[in-house]
Amino acid sequence: MKRVLIADDASFMRQMIRDIIEPEGFEVVGEASDGVEVVEKYKKLRPDVVMMDIVMPKRSGIDAVRAIKAEDAGARVVMCSALGQDALVSEALQAGARDFIVKPFKPDAVLSTLAKVVEKAE
Amino acid sequence: MDLSKYRALFLEEAAEHLAELSRACLALEKDPANAEAIDLSFRMAHSIKGMAASLDYDPVTQVAHRLEDRMAVWRAQGRVDVPEGMRLLFHGLEGLERMVAGIRATGESPPLDGALLAQLAAPGAADGGGAKKA
Repeated sequence: MKRVLIADDASFMRQMIRDIIEPEGFEVVGEASDGVEVVEKYKKLRPDVVMMDIVMPKRSGIDAVRAIKAEDAGARVVMCSALGQDALVSEALQAGARDFIVKPFKPDAVLSTLAKVVEKAE
Repeated sequence: MDLSKYRALFLEEAAEHLAELSRACLALEKDPANAEAIDLSFRMAHSIKGMAASLDYDPVTQVAHRLEDRMAVWRAQGRVDVPEGMRLLFHGLEGLERMVAGIRATGESPPLDGALLAQLAAPGAADGGGAKKA
């Protein structure tokens, strides 16, 4: 079972991701509500995948990707963005994110992206 | 996906975000260059946009999106324009509060506030700005 860490400052969005992925066999090992907490939890939990919002308090999602990749070059991070954030998505991918999904979440898109990121690593 | 279970969570979290946005507006009224308040306002608008889009509350999504776009401009320039920017910010806040209250009262998506959307449109935008239906 693949272990996932979810980072978003909105508990609404964290719950929605959890509800999409848990029934499909992913284990949510932790949640973070800001860019500092997600880096700390990554170091502690070492999840297989991080699903992370681009816009977060304390430390942006892009900065958090850089910190996680500095800690673990093989880290797999999927960014959660919204329409109109193409420039931020591009920056996040350059920072080391593997892929991205766009809000509002479509369950099929979330699961296929997650599966693709996991498969590439195996 | 059954979205009805998320309505209560949306109302709870949107109320918290709007309270934060209100506090940020008051801080910006005192100091339009308050970077922390500008960033907070941007994030609150962004967050409300994402939640509303997830529940198909399109009028809320559009207003939050335009407010987010406005905040992004003010964040880049380091201050909110006075007095026009502050007026828009308060109108956006009041509009979002009104729409979220409408959802709380009726359980339905609120009507589109075309006048508010037009006010929040980016200057010079031919079709009223970049707030695409998110």
